[in-house]
Amino acid sequence: MKNRLKVLRAERDWTQGDLADALEISRQSINAIETGKYDPSLPLAFRIADLFNLPIEAIFLRD
Amino acid sequence: MTTHKTMPAYMRRYAARLLLFMGAYVAALTGSLIFANNGGDHAQGTLIGLALISAFPIIGVFWAIFRLLVEADDEYQRLLLIKQTLLATALTLAIVTVWQFLQVFDVIDTGPQWVGAVWFAMWGLAAPVVRWRA
Repeated sequence: MKNRLKVLRAERDWTQGDLADALEISRQSINAIETGKYDPSLPLAFRIADLFNLPIEAIFLRD
Repeated sequence: MTTHKTMPAYMRRYAARLLLFMGAYVAALTGSLIFANNGGDHAQGTLIGLALISAFPIIGVFWAIFRLLVEADDEYQRLLLIKQTLLATALTLAIVTVWQFLQVFDVIDTGPQWVGAVWFAMWGLAAPVVRWRA
C-alpha cells in the first residue's frame, strides 16, 4: 500500500520524530510506514488520519 | 513540534522486571550453591527446592519477555519483537536438534543442556537481525 505520509509531513514541516511523538510510537515505526515496509493497522491509520485532519483514503492509496 | 526521545513505558517496565529477576537469579543461585555445597548431604526434597528456587527467576525473565510482547503498544515494534522471538525459537530448536544428533551418533557425550540460556542468547542475536534494514 502506498501512502502520502512523507509529503503531508513535509507540508507541515514535521520531522519523523515529531510525527512519532504525536502518535506516541517510535520514529522507526514512522519510517517503516513511510517507506512502505509496514502497513499500519486500521486503528493506527485512523489515528494518523485524525492527526492530519484528512480521510484515510487521502493518506493511504491502493497499489 | 518538539521531539522527546524517551524510552516507552512498556520498555521501562520490561527493564525493571529484567533487573529484578536477574538480581533475584544471582542471589538465589549464589545462596542455593553455598547452601548445597556446605553442610554435607541434603535431602532430595531440599535439593529439588534449591533447583526450583534457582530456576524461578529465569522463568521470571521469560514471563517479562512475554509481558513485553503483550504490553508493547507500538504495533510495529511489537511486530519486530514477535519476529525476534520466533527467530530465537527457530534458531534454538535448530541448535538443540543438531546437538541432540551429535550425541545420538556419539560425537559428543552430552546432549542439549541449558536450553533456556541458549534461547536467551538467540533472542539477543535475533534482535539486530530482525531490525537490520527494518
